[in-house]
Amino acid sequence: MTENLNTPIIPTWCPGCWNFQILAGVKNVINEEIKKGKKKDDFAIVSGIGCHAKIFDYVNLKGINTLHGRVLPTCLGMKVGNPNLNLIAFSGDGDCYAEGMEHLIYAARYNADFKYFVHNNQVFALTVGQSTPTTEIGYKDKTNPLGVKLHPINSIKLMLTAGASFVARVYAEKEQIEYVLKEAMKHKGFAFIEVLQPCIIFHDDTGYGEKTYSLEKTGHDKTNFESAMKKADEFDYNGVKKDTKIPLGIFYQKERTIFEELYPQLSELRKKKIGWGDIKR
Amino acid sequence: MKFTILFGGKAGQGSNVLSTILGSALIKKGYYVFVSRDYQSIIRGGHNFNVLTFSDAPIYSNNSEIDLIISLDESTISLHKKELKKGGNIISGEGKGNMYFAGRLFKMLCLDFKVLEEEFKELGKNFAENMKEAKEGYDEEKKTACKIVSNKSKLTFSNGNRGISKGAIKSGLDVYFAYPMTPATNVISELAEKQIENNLIVLELESEIAVINAAIGSAITGAKTMIGTSGGGFDLMTESLSLTGVAEVPLVIYLASRPGPSTGVATYTGQGDLDLARHSGHGEFPRMVLAPGNPEEAEELTSQAFYFTQKFGIPAIILSDKHLAESFYTSDKTPVIISSKKSTLLKRYNSYETDEFGCATENAERIKRNVEERLKKGREIEKEAEKFKQFNIYGNKNSKNVVVSFGSTKGAILDAIKDLDVKFIQILHIEPFPSKVKKEIEGKNIVLVENSATGQLGKVIAEKTGIIIPENSRILRYDGRPFLHDELNKEIRGKLK
Repeated sequence: MTENLNTPIIPTWCPGCWNFQILAGVKNVINEEIKKGKKKDDFAIVSGIGCHAKIFDYVNLKGINTLHGRVLPTCLGMKVGNPNLNLIAFSGDGDCYAEGMEHLIYAARYNADFKYFVHNNQVFALTVGQSTPTTEIGYKDKTNPLGVKLHPINSIKLMLTAGASFVARVYAEKEQIEYVLKEAMKHKGFAFIEVLQPCIIFHDDTGYGEKTYSLEKTGHDKTNFESAMKKADEFDYNGVKKDTKIPLGIFYQKERTIFEELYPQLSELRKKKIGWGDIKR
Repeated sequence: MKFTILFGGKAGQGSNVLSTILGSALIKKGYYVFVSRDYQSIIRGGHNFNVLTFSDAPIYSNNSEIDLIISLDESTISLHKKELKKGGNIISGEGKGNMYFAGRLFKMLCLDFKVLEEEFKELGKNFAENMKEAKEGYDEEKKTACKIVSNKSKLTFSNGNRGISKGAIKSGLDVYFAYPMTPATNVISELAEKQIENNLIVLELESEIAVINAAIGSAITGAKTMIGTSGGGFDLMTESLSLTGVAEVPLVIYLASRPGPSTGVATYTGQGDLDLARHSGHGEFPRMVLAPGNPEEAEELTSQAFYFTQKFGIPAIILSDKHLAESFYTSDKTPVIISSKKSTLLKRYNSYETDEFGCATENAERIKRNVEERLKKGREIEKEAEKFKQFNIYGNKNSKNVVVSFGSTKGAILDAIKDLDVKFIQILHIEPFPSKVKKEIEGKNIVLVENSATGQLGKVIAEKTGIIIPENSRILRYDGRPFLHDELNKEIRGKLK
């Protein structure tokens, strides 16, 4: 059966926003899972603050639209509270790489089993166009009239060195979202998925869309950390040059014990398929 | 009778363990014991001391005059000699370990050596070494001052943090998150030690911000969740405290304060965070602020915090301080624990104002309705809270002099007013504030006693009752140290009419 994942809310993203592609891809995958036998209530979603976060209002699943920067600790807490939840979380680049950076490093370290999308449009869009940690040098806006001076963060490299067990990057097209979410759901552990998402108002595709290529189709070995690092080095987020190449797909994937299995109390909850809320004392 | 012993030494020499071991042995003999800790933010070296006061009658604080100094290092004598009572004694022993002094004291106070042996077993390490030291001291000591204590009450010995932990376990705690910060830290170890036997989980996360947000995550799945910190860590949490207000998340927060501003005096005591507990978090939302005055009340109010958070979906702050958190108190009462049903199920939560689908809304009517629902809930909490003991009354209930205070000052006040014509009102529920307090203090000579520089409870009383306590009726201590009952007795005496 299919569940209606819609809410009565009419999306307020800009017409043509790439967030619609992400929304459609995510809903399709969840609906497929439900068709295969999962229940709607097995899923939960979390978002932060920013344009990405509106997705919470458009997907009729339980969860929380939490504070700016705090998606990851909230997810960890939800998995501690009920380790059986199928949790999908959403952040923006400001949410994740600026306000929430400390949690990002720790999320890779904890390796709790949930899937995490970072809608990276390289700009604070909802506050009308300021630079984020992944904005390229020279980008000008009202708060940076002299142009952005700092080198952008390479989030893929960051996640690899932090020990993330699943590191991927896709472009904000529905099919790519579907592909990567399905792969991430097969992965037991924390899945970091960055979505290159043009902001059609404040930071449109500066030509990087044309420079992308598939890691899967070019025979990348996603179990090899060194080659994942090399692939991550190919794109530095600092604008597009003639010879820029942007790999998309899964850079690295290697399962290790998940957070929920490190503690006997949580393992027990997993075994019994319950959360703390089900325990009567 | 009343007898006060000061144990002094360098950090790491073990004056703290020594004083608590002696304290629990004295309790077993029927004495009331109070032990405070004074230690620097140092791991080895420096100067730390514990003050143990015991009596055959109830005692809940220290006094300023020391009967006996146990000196584990050279500097203890020079630093504390001036506090020694006329005719008081000093025991020191060059190069002796802390348990040597335990042996001597056990002999001197006619305590059963077997009790000491049991204490060593409980410590779990260095048993043989401790026994050897203690025997040496026990055999060397020649003076004995035996006294038969005929106390029939069953006495327990606990500090405030232990009370908080026990209360949480008895309330059915599922998940405790924290980041270490003095003086809240040893709630982590108390609970962590007992997590398997009680089937709960204790986790230390990357920051206080992570702690409260993870707590919100676990609370919304239905887990009874609690967090603990001190003022600085609590500051970091306050944006998320506001989130618990709008999203109606049940969360118990233990705030053990110490003197600020900022890092302030990290290992000393103060009550300067009452305003913080009441006013933290942006926006307007209901909360509870509960202030226990001893470990037994810490247990009781922790259970109330769980009860109210589960019943109303609110944050509750249990406000303590270093003096209550880390001092050991004797209790002859069994705490009254209120049980609480789990009330939370995962649904759609939001940091925005929401519509009926749990989606963000900007609709004026809906916003107004949400705000009014929170106000209504605040009134319901007030009504429910009236079913509980919201404040204690001690002393002469008809006195024209009323001492008002909250939290850890309770012990010193109780000991200070024994020979005074005073009624003492101890506020347990600060938010919501008990309306009946007004009747108890109106028209009386009110004396405010507080471990703060601005008299924050005085401000609460002014706000809630319209009664302003004049500046010269306030006894405030803000040097990081707790009140001592003999000094406080004189100060209160000076304010009586």
